Amino acid sequence: MTGWHVRNLGDAVLAHDVPVDVQRRFHNCSLALIGSGGAGVMTAGQILLDAATDAGYFGLMTRSTGPQIRGGEAAALVRLGVAPVACQDDRIDLLIALDWGKAERFADEIVLDADSLVIADPDEGEPPEWIIASDAKRFAVSLADLAREHRAARVNTIAVGLAAGLLGLDPESMSTTLRKLFESKGSRLVDGALAGLNAGMAAAAALPAPCRLAPAAPQPRWLLTGNEAVGMGALRGGVRFCAAYPITPSTEIQEWLAARLPQVGGCLVQAEDELASVNMCIGASFGGVPAMTATSGPGFSLMVEAIGLAVATEIPLLVVDVMRGGPSTGIPTKSEQADLGIAVYGTHGDAPHLVLAPNSIGDCLVTTQWAVFLAEALQCPAVVLSDQLMGQARAAITPPPDREWRAERRKAPAGRGNYQRFAETPDGVSPMAIPGTRGGEYTATGLTHMPSARPSAMVADHHRQLDKRRRKLFRFDFGAHWADIEGEGETGLLTWGSTTLAAREAVERVREEGLAVRLVSLRLLSPLDPVKISQALAGINRLLVVEQSHGAQFLRHLRAHCDLPARTQSLAEPGPLALKPGRIAAALRILSLEQAK
Amino acid sequence: MSPLDDLGTFLVHAVVLEDEAASRYDELADTMEVHHNDEVAALFRQMAAYSRLHLNEATAHAAEHAGGLPDLKPWEFDWPGTESPESGQAESSHYLMTPHHALRLALAAEESAHAFYAGIASHARCEQVRKLAAEFSAEEAEHAEALKEWLTRYPKPSRAWDEDLDPPAAGD
Amino acid sequence: MNSEPQLQIQALAHKDYKSAYKPVWCAGCGDFGVLNALTKALAAMELPPEQVALIAGIGCSSRLPAYTRAYGFHGVHGRALPVATGLAVSRPELAVIATGGDGDGFSIGGNHFLHACRRNVNLTYLVMDNAVYGMTKGQASPTTEADWTGSKLAPQGTHQQPFQPLEMALAAGAPFIARAFSNAPNELAHIITEAIQFPGFAFVQVLSPCITFRPEQMHWKKRVHEGFVPTADRREAFMALMDDDGFSTGIVYRAPRECYRPDTAKAVTLAEIAAGFEVVS
Repeated sequence: MTGWHVRNLGDAVLAHDVPVDVQRRFHNCSLALIGSGGAGVMTAGQILLDAATDAGYFGLMTRSTGPQIRGGEAAALVRLGVAPVACQDDRIDLLIALDWGKAERFADEIVLDADSLVIADPDEGEPPEWIIASDAKRFAVSLADLAREHRAARVNTIAVGLAAGLLGLDPESMSTTLRKLFESKGSRLVDGALAGLNAGMAAAAALPAPCRLAPAAPQPRWLLTGNEAVGMGALRGGVRFCAAYPITPSTEIQEWLAARLPQVGGCLVQAEDELASVNMCIGASFGGVPAMTATSGPGFSLMVEAIGLAVATEIPLLVVDVMRGGPSTGIPTKSEQADLGIAVYGTHGDAPHLVLAPNSIGDCLVTTQWAVFLAEALQCPAVVLSDQLMGQARAAITPPPDREWRAERRKAPAGRGNYQRFAETPDGVSPMAIPGTRGGEYTATGLTHMPSARPSAMVADHHRQLDKRRRKLFRFDFGAHWADIEGEGETGLLTWGSTTLAAREAVERVREEGLAVRLVSLRLLSPLDPVKISQALAGINRLLVVEQSHGAQFLRHLRAHCDLPARTQSLAEPGPLALKPGRIAAALRILSLEQAK
Repeated sequence: MSPLDDLGTFLVHAVVLEDEAASRYDELADTMEVHHNDEVAALFRQMAAYSRLHLNEATAHAAEHAGGLPDLKPWEFDWPGTESPESGQAESSHYLMTPHHALRLALAAEESAHAFYAGIASHARCEQVRKLAAEFSAEEAEHAEALKEWLTRYPKPSRAWDEDLDPPAAGD
Repeated sequence: MNSEPQLQIQALAHKDYKSAYKPVWCAGCGDFGVLNALTKALAAMELPPEQVALIAGIGCSSRLPAYTRAYGFHGVHGRALPVATGLAVSRPELAVIATGGDGDGFSIGGNHFLHACRRNVNLTYLVMDNAVYGMTKGQASPTTEADWTGSKLAPQGTHQQPFQPLEMALAAGAPFIARAFSNAPNELAHIITEAIQFPGFAFVQVLSPCITFRPEQMHWKKRVHEGFVPTADRREAFMALMDDDGFSTGIVYRAPRECYRPDTAKAVTLAEIAAGFEVVS
């Protein structure tokens, strides 16, 4: 479907006050680099993103790899634009293949069509059938020969030059970025890289550009991954202790925090397993220090008992689950939104707690910061559901705001004894004595207890504590950040997490065709507020619920708690590939054509 | 310093001996209450009360002692074994124990306390210590006699004294 | 009224460390002795109760924290050591003591035990070992003899080699290892004091008989004997453990080594950290 995707960029109207939705229609290009056996595809993609960002563009890079630790097949997907780029496009404008090693692994992800350009080294043999079948325009460039012309040039920097030349990236920015990247490796490599860049750009001049970027007007931007954003949000919120166990795709959060927590007076402990991680966090938080752990599905499964313990003992706790393909070991390097069930319902007993989900890389920071604030204010665990798509994608984004949410726990002052840790209060939150506070001594217990914390199996005590813990969550005013509600229309789209990004683009596309859609993206997944959700869906008579889950966990969760319009359609697709804007737009069109009941 | 040589040291031993006795009896009384063995609980409370009388005596002497009491850590005391003599064989308690058992336990405690004081009375190298130890020894002996008399009122329990038809309950 | 001068006798101060709750342990349970020893140790060190944290898992002995006046944490089965670790690392000025039984510590908690020994965070670990699961009515535990047939779950015996806590601790790197007996609370108090004052991970196995499910353990008091002499030589300690009959008490190994310390770094503001993401065009 062309026509809506404007590519010829004569008039570059890029004033800062052009509405974002208009900007999004123009001026973005998608490219993919593939190669294997240490060809350096990821580095090439990173260079392009960094250089484009330096030149003033927004951009996003995601990766795909084989299972080998090194030397495997790899794909770097980069989308660049003059306005914020939130998700990958439906299709690729430009594919540069350094070789064809196991390229069929990427056949589903790299969608080519007659408007696409494919460049490959003829010495690498015939392209695979799926490339030929796509009708993409194919051109041969002898990358290896070009690389041989300079001793230190590599095939991947030739590819960088090719891409830069075809897309219209500023040569100055390209050189500067390459210099910065290679300067620590010595002048020979710097020269080689620059030679490769220039050779590639020269070769590009002879080729038809499938897409060209308009000149960028630089704005303040941050370049980071969703995982780094989570770390930054945690620090801003006040986390000063982290215990964690490595697991793909969350390990980068732990590594980022390991270096920075000590800089702010905190620390990270690498635990022996996820059971230890989460319990260490509970220990630190019991001691008054805001604490978090980060994991993925399999690790989260090990943590659910401890989450229940934090609920029962009313101890603040942050658990970040960077979701990946499941179930069980699943697909560690791919994304899915199928941990919603375990996040909300995974711990035994009636144990209400917070479940939150960021819906962009920048929001990974803001929502994590919010989660810390909420967990501390409500003295309970907060689960933040991020995912591999946001977590490991690297993007240039508008700097996320500091919403000033800080950990502020209601603490009990020194007293003279008879301290009631779980005293009844109007809002359900009881002042918490921190060890070291005289007169506040108590024993926190996972056993059902009295207000004094003494264990009790009596009816009144059990009911009272259940009521209190539920009340403290359900009466809390969560403010505006609970959801993004955008646009007006009788057709609605309800989603959460990373799917929001493709959904937003889909909604913009159909809006241009005259279909008005309201987009609602939920950040507060538990507790759900049926009243607020009803208000958000007021006037909507056709609703598309979109999620990346084979079992439609989000839809079922909503149906369990809320009323939805009579005409509600589910678009629930499992991973490993992200839902694409085109797919969502198509579903919106079909839904809009149906007769409203 | 040894309790044989120094009044202050002897006094702190006496105070702790009586205090531990009282604590132990109270602990036993508490446990009996928790396990609904009220008759024996009451008995142990009484034993605790008697020990407190002795404790008050010893504390009064200690208050008069000009030098004050040495600050000894629990493991620095010079007991015959590792524990103070009247601390009682807590492990020979049982939730179904009868008054007979309780009195036997108390009697054994009193007799070791008596032996402790008597030993000090005969070997003390300090006159004040000898005098006081002899006094306390006599009191313990009296108390032991009283317990023996009490015991005659509580016959030996039957063979099935510890029979509980209910199986154990599980907790956490 | 002429009131008597209040006589402060430090040796009686340990009662201040007990809470008002009456333990629900069976009459004759060894854990009473441990509670007494612990309170005596805390009093001997004059630690303010609010500076002490007792962290337990699940089991009869894990009920101990609530019977003291210190801060306490009664968590889930087997996870006392991680909770204690998180607390001790982030609040190093507190005296953190993890307590629990042989099932909590060596079965479900076994992995954490090994890593706590090697991690060497400054905390104390007291395990009340009665070689049985009392709370759940008498199953075999890792320290139960292989031929004990008293459990319905293993009616012909476990057929498994009993776990050797002191050997495991020594192999895993614990720098302070001791055994004591619950019914000798003064000695135990001494060892607990040494353990708390030791800079690093201090492990004490306390033989603490279960009168209800292992009444034959009442004979332990005849078998327990002082036998260990503290050494800082690991080979000597291993040899002592090879010769041990399972009832020697005392500190067998004491070899301080550098405690676990979290990383430190020059202070940086959050704004400076955030600036690391900024793109300078």
